[in-house]
Amino acid sequence: MNRHRFGGWKPTRRPAQSLERARFRYARHKSIPGQGIARQDSEESNIKRAANKILVVDDEPDVERLVRQRMRREIRGGQYEFVFAGNGIEALEQLREHQDIDMVLSDINMPEMDGLTLLQQIPSVDPNVRSVVVSAYGDMKNIRTAMNRGAFDFVTKPIDFDDLRITITRTLETIELWRSALESRDKLVVLESELSLANRMQQSILPTSFPETDRYQVFASMEAARDVGGDFYDLLPMEGGRIGLAVADVSGKGIPAAMFMMSSRTLLRGAAIGQSDPSNILREVNQLLCENNDTAMFVTLFLAVFDPATGELIYANGGHNPPVLYRNDGTSSLLPTTDGIALGIFPDISFRENSITLEAGDSAILYSDGVTEAENDEGEQFELDRLYEVFAEAPPGDARTATADVLEAVKVFADGAPQFDDITCLILWRGGGSA
Amino acid sequence: MVNVTTERIDDVLSADVDGRIDGSNVVQFEEAVRNAIEDSDRAVIMNFEKLVYISSAGLRAILLTAKSLQNRDAKLLLCSLSDRIREVFEISGFDKILPIHPSKAEALDSLDR
Repeated sequence: MNRHRFGGWKPTRRPAQSLERARFRYARHKSIPGQGIARQDSEESNIKRAANKILVVDDEPDVERLVRQRMRREIRGGQYEFVFAGNGIEALEQLREHQDIDMVLSDINMPEMDGLTLLQQIPSVDPNVRSVVVSAYGDMKNIRTAMNRGAFDFVTKPIDFDDLRITITRTLETIELWRSALESRDKLVVLESELSLANRMQQSILPTSFPETDRYQVFASMEAARDVGGDFYDLLPMEGGRIGLAVADVSGKGIPAAMFMMSSRTLLRGAAIGQSDPSNILREVNQLLCENNDTAMFVTLFLAVFDPATGELIYANGGHNPPVLYRNDGTSSLLPTTDGIALGIFPDISFRENSITLEAGDSAILYSDGVTEAENDEGEQFELDRLYEVFAEAPPGDARTATADVLEAVKVFADGAPQFDDITCLILWRGGGSA
Repeated sequence: MVNVTTERIDDVLSADVDGRIDGSNVVQFEEAVRNAIEDSDRAVIMNFEKLVYISSAGLRAILLTAKSLQNRDAKLLLCSLSDRIREVFEISGFDKILPIHPSKAEALDSLDR
């Protein structure tokens, strides 16, 4: 039956930190304690599992012999391993010595340090150990004190070993549940911190200073969704005082979207060095994104190049929502389409360009579908019509206020409903000034 | 919520997609489609008549399906898109990548030529 195989595991290292230590312990307790006997006869009997280690604290010298004798089956079977201490002081030493102790079974009246004091001390050595006290029959006062000091359970003298077995099993089961809860929590904490890091990285690469002159203004904002999305915007200085304006949205969410967004943005910046044709830049970014893109991720990207001197806006579109144009006379429309496929899907494709001229007081609103597809609690979407309505009374007077107006309108519409997509808005406004 | 109901018309798999495909159920959608497709299928027709919403994660799942079919010379066809869904496909340019038909019958006809 190979019973000896169950006992032999010994820790090879002893991490000092209690969190480290707690993690290290999870690894030992893959199975629920107390099922060891049943399992020994099953097919799983070849799986090595560590014995649960129990510290018995009692000043009666006979206790060690008694426990070893009455629990011999469990000890031989590798189910339990016992260590002993004669009082509270020794018990704490043992706890420090054997960092893999799962539970403490302690007498109350002992010299040097009694069981009740020991209970108070244990959490500072190992907060995850559970304690069971052994008291005289009917000694409710001490039992109450022990429970108040964190004892998990109690047994009474003279010890009924069948009852003790049940108590031990139950205690170990609770410890196991506690540990797996801790483990899940740790994993969750790691995941959440990674997500929030991705979120911050996403925010931190976005430009935060904008040209705001009498001649023209740009302002942009991205509100990240609860799950990390993949929106970004960018401002690309170009020769001749021109400026490239980009809004993009990566497919999907979470860490993969954030990573793809990072590389898209880097490739965009690279492609915009030394050339200023939106179509050529998109073509190059697409080409690079298509290389080794087995994951079929893609990014929709609208890119416009604005010349403040003439008001000319040349643009190309890689499958992104077409921007809205507000004329100074209060009319609004979508920018004439150029078609274009999202980037990262097909190599070797070209993008059509179009151009319009912005007059003083005109503006262009670039956005992601997080704006038009923002949802309220009724499941309605914000949609393009509501975007038009934001400036139905008066066209935007400056880029910063206009951006805030759009985001505010989305917020009011959503009315607190959680948004699952990043909400990005970039506004270009041409003023009448000459500098 | 997304429901995929499939039937096989000779060596063509027809999949009626009902509900919405977004980040919360895209894995479920991908699995349902992948499990339904057999190696002998020479085409898959996705009927989007009852599809009410598709996010970019959903588009990616469609793209992955199309790519894996293409790898073995099979095709993905879409049919019966509502105006709203059609708009999503047009804006992203996916209407230029994937054949879109007004009805399932027309999608089937296009294969028989």
